[in-house]
Amino acid sequence: MIINFKGVKTYIGTGGKSLDINKMTLCFLHGSGQNHLSFIQQARFFAYKGYSVIVPDMPAHGFSDGNPCKSIKENAEWINDLLVDLKLKEVVVIGHSQGCLVALELNRILKRSLEALIFVAGSNEIPVNQFLLDLSKENSQKASQMMVTWGHGIDGDMSINKWPGHSHYGEGNNIMCMNKPTALRYDLHSCNDYSDGIDAAKIIKVPALAVLAKNDQMTPLKSGLKFVELIKNCETHILDCGHFLPSERPIELNSIINSFLSKLK
Amino acid sequence: MSENYKFDTLSLHAGHIPDKETGSRAVPIYQTTSYVFNSTEEAASLYNMEVGGHLYTRISNPTVAALEQRLAALEGGASALACSSGMAAMHLVVSAICSSGDHIVASSKMYGANINLLQHTMPRFGVKTDFVNPNDPDAIKRAIKPNTKLVFGEVIGNPGLDIMDVPEIAKICNSKNIPLVLDATFNTPYLMQPFKYGANIIVHSLTKWLGGHGIAMGGAVVNGGNFDWGDKDKFPTISGPHFALGGISFWEEFGPSALIAKIRAEGMYNFGPSLSPTNAFHLMQGIETLPLRMKKHIENTHSILDFLVNHEMVEWVKHPDLDTHPDHEVAKRILPKGSGSIIAFGIKGGREAGKAFIESVQLASHLANVGDAKTLLIHPGSTTHSHLSSEAMKEGGLTDDMIRLSVGLEDINDIKKDFERGFKAVKKLNK
Ligand SMILES: Cc1ncc(COP(=O)(O)O)c(C=O)c1O
Repeated sequence: MIINFKGVKTYIGTGGKSLDINKMTLCFLHGSGQNHLSFIQQARFFAYKGYSVIVPDMPAHGFSDGNPCKSIKENAEWINDLLVDLKLKEVVVIGHSQGCLVALELNRILKRSLEALIFVAGSNEIPVNQFLLDLSKENSQKASQMMVTWGHGIDGDMSINKWPGHSHYGEGNNIMCMNKPTALRYDLHSCNDYSDGIDAAKIIKVPALAVLAKNDQMTPLKSGLKFVELIKNCETHILDCGHFLPSERPIELNSIINSFLSKLK
Repeated sequence: MSENYKFDTLSLHAGHIPDKETGSRAVPIYQTTSYVFNSTEEAASLYNMEVGGHLYTRISNPTVAALEQRLAALEGGASALACSSGMAAMHLVVSAICSSGDHIVASSKMYGANINLLQHTMPRFGVKTDFVNPNDPDAIKRAIKPNTKLVFGEVIGNPGLDIMDVPEIAKICNSKNIPLVLDATFNTPYLMQPFKYGANIIVHSLTKWLGGHGIAMGGAVVNGGNFDWGDKDKFPTISGPHFALGGISFWEEFGPSALIAKIRAEGMYNFGPSLSPTNAFHLMQGIETLPLRMKKHIENTHSILDFLVNHEMVEWVKHPDLDTHPDHEVAKRILPKGSGSIIAFGIKGGREAGKAFIESVQLASHLANVGDAKTLLIHPGSTTHSHLSSEAMKEGGLTDDMIRLSVGLEDINDIKKDFERGFKAVKKLNK
């Protein structure tokens, strides 16, 4: 759906069902330089399982207009305002990559409690190397291509896909190209600059789930495992794939999230 | 580890890694129509397009999917769909994008069935086409109307071997927000990858060089993922609500792969031109050696070109790699590895000479296909176009002395010897 949010055209994927604020809502937060399409195989799946689903395109990403947020804090405030604007009641936040940092920060600034937090291929910190930071400024398309290549496990290299006929690389590159050229640069800087992750992780009181990737070259498994140690009782799973876990292992991820959610009810 | 494998490696590997259960190195032939669901929930999620997977072979199949993913990787596309023939692929694209009242701009110099579909069949369903010279980007620009939904042409035209200036035409299409659809059968991704030059959708007849052995029919649509279908008024079939699946908008939910999702949900579902898994296997075997074959096809083509150009019995020779070809400069720019292995040439002595030549060669096969590993020949004047006068053939861009040659992989001296046998018969006739 497209809404006018803070005077800006904003797209929110709802998984093909209309938003019902009385149901438990799953709010998916995309990663750096991504948009709602990084959750293609989650949005419809959970919407058809009876949840309300929102997958916002952050400003300047996907089908949303506006200027990119310039820090994780700004991203979190934007999401916070959106949740209030949509009058959502029970919300579970599911972040992927940068979306995990935004989820951490959102949990810190929220006036009320979330139902649960889910971290996919995440950590409390995402340092970005200087080469990629520079490249994202000079040539965002090239930087996107490098991220797509690094970000996938062997399934990316070999064009292996559960979705018949789809190519992780070809699709991934084009998803990133849909964003405004400045989006990636601000996202990567936001990740690199964020340093409140440890404190934010320690104060999590709601049920938490982490699904990490064994061959993650963007948020390495080692970092993810340190991160989950900071969270009280974080249910943790490790899948054999790369950073783009939602499209590399959709069935396994959906099943893990589904059983975690069923325990909340 | 991310490797970003190169073309030759992808030709062999893309789309398949051995499974843990059997370790089968070759892509298994999943000769099945259907797939057991683990639960009613799983079945529903496949029907609703919530996640990827297979539910019925008319829509998708694991062996066919390996071929599709190999093609997507080789073309650098977002996704691909394989089907029963090149013509099926063409019809799937046109019917996915166009509805009654829509308009197409197409090249006037294309394979007969491509022309027939657009000139005679689609108008019955309210879709009209204006045909323009593919070498004239301005003419293409002028032909575009407010209701034009796609521009279509062959990178290397069959049989005239006209070369489209793809980057120029892509610029025009891009500025008008119209997808550029190219039949890339004659070039294959080995000689040229159209998405790199700004094309949006590729159609292949896999029957030809990609399969490469003349044993299996097949076609494919490869989706660049680089086209913005967001204008709901202009592209309602892709970005507007679909008639099923809860009114899904393919563009909103599948973005770069919207076109392929639409074709699977409508074209494959309702028309059903599915590719047999066994044919997919045969076609993939062919693709494994595509780089090697194309290299040799081009080598042999260049050698035969030399031979024909200098032969006393040859009236004329047409191939884009010759500097006498009107599109030679464009060919050099966009097809630097060579412009394919089809040659057209005329034999001194007209229609009768062509007939005598064809009937006297032994090694080269006289048949209607192109792109086989074996050398193939046809003389339109005594076969497909035998009912036409010389004048009528000229109007269609053909001459009655013309031979269409698809250069194979045999030892080049054996091909030349075989042709000498043909020329000798013509000489006798001309005496
Ligand atoms: C350029 C071109 N496109 C499409 C086709 C149709 O392919 P198929 O025979 O696989 O339907 C052909 C067949 O000759 C062709 O030459």
